[in-house]
Amino acid sequence: MKCIRWGLVKQQMSVQLLVRTLNFFSLSLFILQPAVFSAVGMLLSHAAGNDVPDLVYSVIGGGIMGMWSGIVFTSTYDITGDRRNGMLELITGSPTSLASVEAIRTFTNVLCGFFAVLIAFSAAMFIFDYSLNGANLWGAGISLLILLFAMWCSGVFLANFLAWSRISGTFVEYLEMPVAIFCGFMFPIRVLPDWMQTISGIFPIRWALEAMNESLLGMRDVRYLAEHWLLAIGLCLLLLVATNWLQNKVQDKIRVNGELSSI
Amino acid sequence: MKSLHTDSSHVFLFFIKRKESAVKLRLSVLCVPISNTQILSTYDRLGHLDFVALGRRGEMENPAIQACSLNKVFKTKIGLWKIKSKSTTAVEDISFEVERGELFGLLGPNGAGKTTTVKMLTTLLLPTRGTAKILGLDVIEQTAEVRKHIGFAFSGSRGLYNRLTAIQNLNYFAELYALEPKVTKKRIPELLELVGLNGRGDDRVETYSSGMVQRLHLARALLHEPEVLFLDEPTVGIDPVGSRELRQTIKNLISLKKTILLTTHYMAEAEELCNRIAIVNHGKIVVMDTPASLKKRVSGDSVIEAEVQSAKAPILLDTLRGLDGRSMVKLDHSAEPEKLCIRTAEPEKVLELLSPFLNPDYILGMEVRHQTLEDVYITIIQGEKE
Repeated sequence: MKCIRWGLVKQQMSVQLLVRTLNFFSLSLFILQPAVFSAVGMLLSHAAGNDVPDLVYSVIGGGIMGMWSGIVFTSTYDITGDRRNGMLELITGSPTSLASVEAIRTFTNVLCGFFAVLIAFSAAMFIFDYSLNGANLWGAGISLLILLFAMWCSGVFLANFLAWSRISGTFVEYLEMPVAIFCGFMFPIRVLPDWMQTISGIFPIRWALEAMNESLLGMRDVRYLAEHWLLAIGLCLLLLVATNWLQNKVQDKIRVNGELSSI
Repeated sequence: MKSLHTDSSHVFLFFIKRKESAVKLRLSVLCVPISNTQILSTYDRLGHLDFVALGRRGEMENPAIQACSLNKVFKTKIGLWKIKSKSTTAVEDISFEVERGELFGLLGPNGAGKTTTVKMLTTLLLPTRGTAKILGLDVIEQTAEVRKHIGFAFSGSRGLYNRLTAIQNLNYFAELYALEPKVTKKRIPELLELVGLNGRGDDRVETYSSGMVQRLHLARALLHEPEVLFLDEPTVGIDPVGSRELRQTIKNLISLKKTILLTTHYMAEAEELCNRIAIVNHGKIVVMDTPASLKKRVSGDSVIEAEVQSAKAPILLDTLRGLDGRSMVKLDHSAEPEKLCIRTAEPEKVLELLSPFLNPDYILGMEVRHQTLEDVYITIIQGEKE
């Protein structure tokens, strides 16, 4: 653990919270957006003929959606904002790698996003009388941890595209909804056509989320869950390898084309 | 600790005698080129010393900054339907050296390539061709090592988190530079005092004036005690009082033996601060020398500026043809009234020639002054244009 610079982790998280997250507008992203998604999910569930809405996919799914949006939008703003105010150059020009800074930032964004999931859980339990009776809590807990790890891996991978150029942030924003659909944030993945399910297999978030949702719905098949967890962790590791490769490429590219700053 | 390198024909001996405290080591003998055989015998004879280190030539006497044929070409694509590649050469074959403890100025108009040069030297841009070394470390191959030894501050309000206080900003950068918490705690108040911001450290940066922001940039750049400092137009947008304070801070840094590369548009600033100056235009170094020598390079050491009646200007120009080739006469048609500018080493002769015309029919006003670096700069840059 000595290789982790805890001082940097603490400082970067504090800066992240003070500069980007702890303000009314950013907090809305983690509260209002999940609430809207949850409401739409429940309306759709009702329209589909369900007397009792599926709280796991509609309400808690709304929270997951809020977490994902938080990661995508906050990470996008982190880099474009830093590029605009000259911080990206200063961070890159310091002995600390931009990759380390991005890793800590994304971790902070995941934790803030988790706040949205907690609110969604609370809303499901206290407003809509969702009960954890019958749920596989251990399975759901482990799946949630792996889900957070998968979200973090996906966030640090996407951060490379944001650093890539001055206009690449738009590309990452476009990915928000497709990833949400392919990973089944608000519906079971099995309702998707086969070809979409095949594509969704490359996202570690999909496997962790499926394991968590199934656990909340009472799944106790250890083999099923273990397969999902291993797939999620394996894909995360692959993503980290790709991230490392991409980071070196991006570092060279932005130093060649001079896109570290906005001017 | 004893180390011996005998694989170089030019070897330097560094003898460091241990004083009372291990921290207070004194470097006593430097740079004696000797042969390999001599090294071994010398090493034997010096056995009584506590510490003997032998290093290759240059390890301790590298210039602080070495730029060798630096080039930077930016490639962009333009057009929507018919996309064309466009290359822009920002820096072309720039070479210079800055000695340790020197304050070196890069001067030039906007777009001359000053900032691009600084960004290559600070590892933020990769040169298209050429090499650069900071304290002997290659900026391309030893990027991480170079970054530990340099500090840089760019102009303007960019480069700080405005929603944080000065101390929070400095604490953040201290972590980026991996400073020990104890060192950070001691350094921040010292730096805030150095740049004249003590008492304002707990205020958000967004409440600072431009001058205060610029001084905070300087404190940030100095946080890890870098040996080499790059200041890119540090006084841009600052009022005269703020500029003067900042210049004083920069002078204080020189007394602390820092090497500084300064880019600026302000000639008075460069003249006041820099040991040597390079004037850059169109990505190339046009001239490089001390401010005093630069002033001598351009003809004459006096400048006579006369506001003249436009209709009579040809008569005056004709009169001044009698001056020798070292004087330079130029009529500025764009000025209102038109301005006759004479750079000369013989101002008495100019005044004598112009004396019959010292009346409002010909000359509306006249000023005689010593040549400034700005005159030199304008002469060089305009000469380039022509």
